[in-house]
Amino acid sequence: MARVYNWQIGREMSYWYPEHRPQKQFAAVFDTNKCIACQTCTLACKTTWTSGRGQEYMLWNNVESKPYGSYPLAWDLNLLKKLDGGKWNGSRYEGQTIFESAEAGERVLGWRPESQDYAYPNVGEDDCAGQVDAGAYMNSPHMAWFFYLARICNHCTHPACLASCPRGSIYKRPEDGIVLVDQSRCRGYQECVKACPYKKVFFNPMTGTSEKCIACYPKIEQGIQPQCFVNCIGKIRMAGFINKPESARPDNPIDYLVHIKKVALPLYPQFGLEPNVYYIPPIHVPTSFTRQMFGPGVDAAVKTYRNAKNDPDLAALLCLFGSSEMVMPQFRRQGDMVSGIDAQGNTVVRVPMNEPVHVRPAYDRLYQIQRTNCP
Amino acid sequence: MRSHALVLVLAFAALPACRQVAPLASEVVALKVAQLPSAPGDGAWNAASEYTAKLLLQDLVDPRLMKPSTQEVKVRALTNGTQLALRLSWLDSQVNDLPGPGRFLDGCAIQIPRALEANPPDPQMGQAGRTVDIAFWRADWQATMNGRKDEIRSIYPNAAVDHYPFEAKSLDPGSAAQREMASRYAPAQAVGNRRVGPREFPVEDMIAEGPGTLSPNPGGGSRGRGERTEGGWSVLIVRKAPEGWEPKIRTQIAFAVWEGSAKEAGGRKMRTGWVPLSMKETAP
Repeated sequence: MARVYNWQIGREMSYWYPEHRPQKQFAAVFDTNKCIACQTCTLACKTTWTSGRGQEYMLWNNVESKPYGSYPLAWDLNLLKKLDGGKWNGSRYEGQTIFESAEAGERVLGWRPESQDYAYPNVGEDDCAGQVDAGAYMNSPHMAWFFYLARICNHCTHPACLASCPRGSIYKRPEDGIVLVDQSRCRGYQECVKACPYKKVFFNPMTGTSEKCIACYPKIEQGIQPQCFVNCIGKIRMAGFINKPESARPDNPIDYLVHIKKVALPLYPQFGLEPNVYYIPPIHVPTSFTRQMFGPGVDAAVKTYRNAKNDPDLAALLCLFGSSEMVMPQFRRQGDMVSGIDAQGNTVVRVPMNEPVHVRPAYDRLYQIQRTNCP
Repeated sequence: MRSHALVLVLAFAALPACRQVAPLASEVVALKVAQLPSAPGDGAWNAASEYTAKLLLQDLVDPRLMKPSTQEVKVRALTNGTQLALRLSWLDSQVNDLPGPGRFLDGCAIQIPRALEANPPDPQMGQAGRTVDIAFWRADWQATMNGRKDEIRSIYPNAAVDHYPFEAKSLDPGSAAQREMASRYAPAQAVGNRRVGPREFPVEDMIAEGPGTLSPNPGGGSRGRGERTEGGWSVLIVRKAPEGWEPKIRTQIAFAVWEGSAKEAGGRKMRTGWVPLSMKETAP
C-alpha cells in the first residue's frame, strides 16, 4: 500500500494507489437543514439514468430519514460496527480507516448488502414503530428529532471502489475527479459494491456489471449542475469544485463553505476516502450524534450556521443555492446582492439577499371589497 | 500413544484395499475419438480416464479466497484432433444460478497456454507476453440457455416495475428507436460488454496475460453445457484443440471452480496449478 495525505482526517494514511489528485475535483455542498425529503432529486436521477432492466431497485440518489432510515439497509451501521468506533484527537483521526483495517486477503474493510437490503427504500422510516396512546409523545433512544440525508456518490479523492477493483475497471477522471465504472471492462465481481462504505455502487443483474452515479458528467462538461441539483425543490444543493485546504479560494463557493467557514463537513470522514459531498449539518440534532457522522467540526459548523444572519458573505452564499442551473465556481457579494459567476467569468445569476416584501392590505380600496386567500 | 497405535492398525487394515484401487492418473489424458459428445451425460465419456484435480485456494493475489470451498473437480477429456472436449464434475449441493446484489454464481473454467512450450507461463492467468486461453462456464448463463427469461421477475418474482421508458406506446416494439432508448439505460450493452446477454452458449472465451488482464476473446468458438447431477454439477466445455498439440506432445491445463454460495467471483475461486494434458490415440 502507498501513503497518501487525507486532509479530512489530518494525517497520512495507507491507500492501494499512490496519491494522484485530479486537475479539478468535483464537489458539492448539501444543506441538510433545507431538505424536505420530497424525493424530487431521487426521481430526477432515476428518470434520467436508472430506468432500465436491472436498475429497478437502484437509486444513485436517495434521501433517507436519519437516524433510523438507510438505503441499502444499515449501510452505515454495519461498517461503523466493523470499524469498532474510531477515535479523534482534535481534528486528527487516530482510529483506523477502512484501508488500514482491511482484513487478510482484502484491499478494503467492507461488507456486502444482500438483495433484500435494497428492497425497501424509505419504507417505514418515518412511521411510528408501536402503539401511540393518547397523550403519548415520542419516546425512543433518541429524543424527538430526525433529519433527511440526501446521498449521491461522493466522488471520493481516495475511492474505495476504485481501490478494490482487481480489474482496474474504475477510474477517476483527471479533468474533474468524477469516479466512473468503465462499462466495457467491468465483469461484475461486486468487489466495489462490497468496498464502498457509502454503498453507492450498485450491481445490475441484467447487464452483469456494476453501475454508479456519474455526477451527470455530460452536464458538468457543459458547465451545468447535475440533475439532482437543478431539480431540488428545497434548493439544498450546490455543485462546484474544491481545492485543497492550503489552496482554498475565498470566492469559490465550495472552498468558502468547506475550508474557510468550515460550515460544510464530509460524511463519515473517519472511513478515510476524503469524500467530496459536504453537508451542512442539521442544527437541531444533538451533536453527540452528528459528530460521529460528520466528524469533530460539527459543533463549530452548527454555531457558524446559526450565526449566518450576522455573516453577510455566508448568508449571501446560502442564498445562491438553487438559483441557477449553471455551475458557479465563483461568487461575489455586493451589498445585499450576490452574484454567481461561471468558469468564463460571466455573471450567470444575481440574487437579492432579502426578497422584496409587499404587504397587501386585506381591504381592496379600488374595488371596495375584502380580499380573501384562495385555498 | 494409544491413539498412534490405533492409527497404525487402521493403516495396515486399509493396505489390501489400497492395492486394489487403480493408481490416480497423474495427468489429464484426452482420448482421441471420431465424434465428440454434446452433453456431459453422454456415454462416450466412460471411455476416457478420470483425473481428479485437487483444488487450491486462490490466495496469491488480492482479493484472495481465504476459506476453502470446493475440494476437487473430476476431469475427463476427449478430442477429435481439432477440438478438445472436457467434462468437469464437482460436488455442490446448492444451485446458485440467480444473479443479483450479494448473489454469486456457480461456475468453472479451463485454462490452456496459447503456445506449446516446455515452461508454461504462470498458472495464475498467464503473464505479460505469454497468453493463456480461458473458457468459462457459468450457471446463470446455462439457466438462460435452458429457457429462463432474461428479465427481473425471473430473478425476483415479486419485483415491482412501474414502467420502462423503452416500452412507451410511442415506440414500436423491436424498432431501432426502441432499441436506442433501451440502450440508454443499459450502458454495458451500449458499449458492447459481452457480459450482457443474450448469448448463444453458456461458455465465454477469454484470454489473459496475468491477473487483472482478463479480456474477451469472441472468436474463441468454445461452447458447452452444464447439467445438475446428484449433488453437483457436470459441465461440458468444447474448445479448439491447442495449436500443434498431437499425441506425442504434452501441453498444460488448469482448472478453476467458483462456488456461488461462498460468494466466489473473479479471483476469489478454488483453482489448480498446471496439470499435464496429453492426447492418446484410441487402440485400433
